[in-house]
Amino acid sequence: MAAVTLSKTATPSVIDLEDVSIGYGSDAPPVLVDVNLSVERGSFVAIVGPSGVGKSTLLRVVAGLHTARSGGVTIHQDQRPGHRPVGLVFQDARLLPWRRVIRNVEFGLEGLPVSRDERRQRAEAALKLVRLDGYARRWPYELSGGQRQRIGIARAMAVDPDILLMDEPFGALDAITRNNLQDELRRIHQETGKTVLFVTHDLEEAVHLADRIIVLGGTPARVVRDVRNRAGRDGSVFRDQVEQLRSEIADNYSI
Amino acid sequence: MKTINKIALSALGVVVFLLAWEAVARSGVVPARLLPSPSAVPAAFLTEFNSGTWQAMVLASLSHYLVGLSVGTFLGVSFGTAAALWGKWDAFQAWVVRMLRPIPAIAWIPFAIIWFGVSEGAASFLIALTVFWINYYASYAAVRGVDKDLIELGYAFGQGGLIPRLFKIILPGALPGILSGLRAGLGQGWMTVVAAELFGISGLGMRMMEASGLLATHIVVLYMVTIALLYGVSDFLFMQVQSRVLSWQR
Repeated sequence: MAAVTLSKTATPSVIDLEDVSIGYGSDAPPVLVDVNLSVERGSFVAIVGPSGVGKSTLLRVVAGLHTARSGGVTIHQDQRPGHRPVGLVFQDARLLPWRRVIRNVEFGLEGLPVSRDERRQRAEAALKLVRLDGYARRWPYELSGGQRQRIGIARAMAVDPDILLMDEPFGALDAITRNNLQDELRRIHQETGKTVLFVTHDLEEAVHLADRIIVLGGTPARVVRDVRNRAGRDGSVFRDQVEQLRSEIADNYSI
Repeated sequence: MKTINKIALSALGVVVFLLAWEAVARSGVVPARLLPSPSAVPAAFLTEFNSGTWQAMVLASLSHYLVGLSVGTFLGVSFGTAAALWGKWDAFQAWVVRMLRPIPAIAWIPFAIIWFGVSEGAASFLIALTVFWINYYASYAAVRGVDKDLIELGYAFGQGGLIPRLFKIILPGALPGILSGLRAGLGQGWMTVVAAELFGISGLGMRMMEASGLLATHIVVLYMVTIALLYGVSDFLFMQVQSRVLSWQR
């Protein structure tokens, strides 16, 4: 059993996965094997693959919510005080319904050695980052799905994580809201330079957002492709890139 | 239906009920000893109030009630929450609970008297017992029902330790269910007050027993109405607090 190791050494990569193998229970066959992956600081990496392939589970391993069966998971933590190694954004926004928006954003800061004032300031800054600074006193039930997801992003950004982990964060939103939030996320990534690991089953979303795309496939699943995405900021090659990925996934897809 | 119409209709229901009762009592169909007329109650109230009996009885019952309610609620919520949180503890106490649960509070009266004597403590004990079970089951179900995803959220954001998990996620998440238990206990508690005082502990129940022994049925009715009012007031106050505490709900 391999838990997440936190290292304080400065490296170009934020996380390193070495020969990671993941499964449920002790007897069941593994879901995901031989995952080797380094995520560079400041990069935006998307993990794609058919549903059930273990994308979300891989993300949960990095977040420390699930323990890998074997292999090493290292997060190279920055020296800054008062931050968390990871900030997680869920598909359902997962806000605490009994907390007002601002207190939801403060949630992850509460276990950190951060003063009450600084906590409030950082939460307010995070709300501003997702352009919902007027919503601090609202209850979650008063928000739309897209707004809730923005609060989820603000909560993760407020802890100033070494890496932002996103588990199909826009999967449950309508097309227009999804496009808006994709653009917002791109802006946030550019403004903050935060490293992002983004799980999605939507290839167009991956090509639209990421500068590197990891394709998982096969049974048990492994990394079948690791693509430098050139299309993200250039519309002309967008289609080609999506189609290429689509065929790669089809080649490696077995039922 | 408009709120004002609803209130008017409820008031009309009460008036019709009282008028029908008064009519039956006055018609002479039933002897006055067996069915006192509601119009006799205000006079009974004045007599009891002027002698100071009414205030004394209300205060005595209220103190049994408040002590029993707080002890029973606190222990019920604590044990129910603990059983829902720790599987081992749950398994350990499951059959003890199954054995004790079906015994009604009044069946404990002999033990209440042996342990506490004919005292305030005995009445509070019986009330606490009734309230305990209601809160035990309500809290158990409420804590079990807390969204597992929110608990996972706690782990993801460094709030997975027992204390933050309990106080920031589990208890707030279970609060609506726990409060429903509290409210049910509030009503059951008043019912037990009467039963607990019937064997001679000073209070509303004892006074009703005395009055019925003298066939002073109008006094019995007076104390029935008193309990109804006390329950009504406590339930109303509780609802005020509850709607404030749960203002985060839609």
